Amino acid sequence: MIWVSWRRQRTEALIAAAVLLALAAFLVPTGLHMASVYHHDGLSTCLGPAGGASCDDTIQSFTDRFSSLNNLIAWTTLLPGLLGVLLAAPFMLEFEHGTHRLAWTQSVTRGRWIAGKLGLAVACALVAALILTLLLTWWHAPLVRLNGRMDNGVYDSEGIVIFGYTLFALGLATAVGAVWRRGVPAIVAGFAAYFAVRLFVDTWLRQRLMPPLTATWHLMVPDPRALRHALVLDEYPADAHGHHVLIPANECGAGRALKRTPGLGDCFARHGYFMHAVYEPASRFWALQGIETALFAAGGGILLAFAAWWTYRRV
Amino acid sequence: MIIFHLDQRSGVPTYLQLVQQVRQAVRLGILMPGDQLPTVKDVVGTLAINPNTVLKAYRELDHEGLVVARRGVGTFVADLQPSRPPDDLKALRTSLQRWVDRARAAGVGDEALADLFADTVRAERISRVA
Amino acid sequence: MITTPAISTDRLGKRYGSAWALRDCTLAVPAGSVTALVGPNGAGKTTLLQLVVGLGRATAGSVEVFGCDPQRDAGAVLPRVGFVAQEHPLYSGFTVAEMLKVGRKLNPGWDDAFALQRVQELSLPLGGKIGKLSGGQQAQVALTLALAKRPELLVLDEPVASLDPLARREFLSSLMEAVTETGVTIVLSSHILADLERVCDHLVILSRARTQLAGPIDEIVAEHRLLTGPRADVAEIARRHEVVTARHSERQTSLLVRSNGHVYDASWELHEVDLEEIVLAYLAQNRAEDPTLAMSA
Repeated sequence: MIWVSWRRQRTEALIAAAVLLALAAFLVPTGLHMASVYHHDGLSTCLGPAGGASCDDTIQSFTDRFSSLNNLIAWTTLLPGLLGVLLAAPFMLEFEHGTHRLAWTQSVTRGRWIAGKLGLAVACALVAALILTLLLTWWHAPLVRLNGRMDNGVYDSEGIVIFGYTLFALGLATAVGAVWRRGVPAIVAGFAAYFAVRLFVDTWLRQRLMPPLTATWHLMVPDPRALRHALVLDEYPADAHGHHVLIPANECGAGRALKRTPGLGDCFARHGYFMHAVYEPASRFWALQGIETALFAAGGGILLAFAAWWTYRRV
Repeated sequence: MIIFHLDQRSGVPTYLQLVQQVRQAVRLGILMPGDQLPTVKDVVGTLAINPNTVLKAYRELDHEGLVVARRGVGTFVADLQPSRPPDDLKALRTSLQRWVDRARAAGVGDEALADLFADTVRAERISRVA
Repeated sequence: MITTPAISTDRLGKRYGSAWALRDCTLAVPAGSVTALVGPNGAGKTTLLQLVVGLGRATAGSVEVFGCDPQRDAGAVLPRVGFVAQEHPLYSGFTVAEMLKVGRKLNPGWDDAFALQRVQELSLPLGGKIGKLSGGQQAQVALTLALAKRPELLVLDEPVASLDPLARREFLSSLMEAVTETGVTIVLSSHILADLERVCDHLVILSRARTQLAGPIDEIVAEHRLLTGPRADVAEIARRHEVVTARHSERQTSLLVRSNGHVYDASWELHEVDLEEIVLAYLAQNRAEDPTLAMSA
């Protein structure tokens, strides 16, 4: 059964491998380059206690230098969806071509056949997710050391969420294909649905998984430690209690970007203005990752179970 | 070895066609005593007919004494060809001859004669249903 | 001693939505027989065959294969049944050898030596891709797959529909050789009556989702007679024998009658009918409710 499932899955698995290989071909040289620049410019020392004011500039220039590349790589957030949907194809095509009438009249019961095929698809999806996670985590490492990993665009390539995304996409496409029974439309619909859900989670749900923390401080003092590498959801001038304050037009250079110049700090202090931020601290990284992964993986699992049940009951 | 053929449009049952072909082959010397008839599998593979049909034909031939079925070996043309007691056939032939003479005297042509004979045989068979 | 029928149904029915694809079907297919399943498109043949092999669930009634339910006892039934679906589905990207490997991996009763021997005898290329084979070759691969698991029942849904005459003949020869060697029970549906007459000893006629006739072919041919005579009312005869179809012209009436007795009215002339005429008559019977309509050619 395993040989048959694998042989049926082989083409899609090889395509997935080719995609990952192409990605690696791009990531490895650029990643090595970025890492070497990181060491060459002595950025690691900047992070230590020896770092001074010039470090801010060094860090900023490094980040700017690789920002466009980073934005490009951010598109890899679609890959778990693509791979998951791709690996769902063999299951769907079986019904589109009517070969299930062959498969279900050998000596293997329907239940075993379904479990075997879906089980192998899940295994392939997990392997693909692992390779993708390792590649991306390695590539992002210098940037993560500088700017943390809480920001959208980095967050969804780090940790374990990719496993959740891939399983979810697999489950979604399999469920759509099981009901719709047409391979290509199901793949497209599955991917579109994946994209919609990811967008929803990225922009709305993620920051509500755990109630965000707040901080209020004088603009003159250095930013609170807790904000370091945090996901800052909102940042604005406020009063001492943290309520938003609208700075009048000609005060403290309102309207211009809030650069932490000594002059601005004094102005804020004179008027009793504070800086206020709403954020998710970096310490919550694993907790948030765990919740998001669990949600996606559970969703994928439920969808796969539904697809299995629907197929099993199919008359 | 005899080669069987099948005429689906003749109206003659398949098993009977096989029987007739064996009888004719024996008469013409194509099959000699001791010769083996094709195995059921061979006949079935060539003609694409139901094996029971072949078995029925071979059983009929065995019953007539024309062939002998040897278990596990095959079906062979019998050494001794049974012949009908010549008296029976002779008597039938004579009465048939008289009937033909009467029909000719009445002006019945060959074709009408054959029709009449075939019809009579058929009618008798048909009225014996199942 | 009565042996368990290979297939036995009891008022079997299947509904898709509001339409009945098969209705009130009760029949028994004896073990060792070669049964023809005949009927127009949409008559329910494929539905019946799929219910027999467990590909569908009955809406009404029951079906048993060697005494077991093919869906509930799939584990027990599947190894004993071989199935070739319509269009003989195969994995077109596989080679012939890989296709046989599928059979080997999925069937504990697989006879690999037999499968290889058959493939050799038929000159099928082991390394050839299924998708590149001809229709006849694909059908033979599908049949090999079904035969090599050594089934006791072989079910074929229109196996020769898309084959040329030679391929058809070779396919049927293969089937008959299998019956000779193993005594496998065969049920096959087909449009081509001439083929079926050579090969089958039992017949089931399906039309409009219902069984019209079922039984051994010998008996069916022996029980049906064509009655011809001067134009007459059918009612008298119909009281004593089952009138299948009736056809009237100005001066003549012609009836197809089913009887198990042999008492006939002297006013009628009797003729034998061959199987093809009988089948066509039953199929035409359903096309019109009016028994005075003509039989189809």
